[in-house]
Amino acid sequence: MAASSGKCSFTAPVAARCYSHAMVESDEEFDARWVTYFSKPDIDAWELRKGMNTLIGYDLVPEAKILDSALRACRRLNDMASAIRILEAVKDKAGPHKDIYPYLLQELRPTLTELGISTPEELGMDKC
Amino acid sequence: MSLPKPVMRGLLGKRLRFHLPIAFTLSLVAAIAFKYGVTEPRKKAYADFYKHYDATKEFNTMKEAGIFESVRPSVD
Repeated sequence: MAASSGKCSFTAPVAARCYSHAMVESDEEFDARWVTYFSKPDIDAWELRKGMNTLIGYDLVPEAKILDSALRACRRLNDMASAIRILEAVKDKAGPHKDIYPYLLQELRPTLTELGISTPEELGMDKC
Repeated sequence: MSLPKPVMRGLLGKRLRFHLPIAFTLSLVAAIAFKYGVTEPRKKAYADFYKHYDATKEFNTMKEAGIFESVRPSVD
């Protein structure tokens, strides 16, 4: 949303989106690329972890559709732990912006129900 | 109750664009304040002390006080 401001790399939300280079990518292309990454049918555990770690390194909170794709990848890998961890990571990424996590849970609720994923809050894991 | 979509991109960039100029300015102000509040008065104090300092007179005062080992006070 804020990406198309035409300023230099300091304001770029994503590492790849440096306006001084040749590569300029829209938010939709970025999202689509990551949805595709996690949609690989035979994705392996390493690729899941690598993908998530890279994604978390960007200056953005991943869109619901990317997270949906990642959670389904966890399902294919029978990795419940990673699925819950993804939710924790996303909440942490939002930082002081407390409206982001509830919004994402709202968007992901159908997926969470379908895949049987509990949120950290439901498991009491958010209080340490 | 359906939540509206919040801004999810560029949050750190926005924060930095706001806070970094303030941080740099405040650091600069702190440095300038220290320079003119502490170091310059100190340098002036030393300069003022030594402006009319007579080393020979001070030496003789110290000599008469008997604090030196290699030169004793003038014949008591």
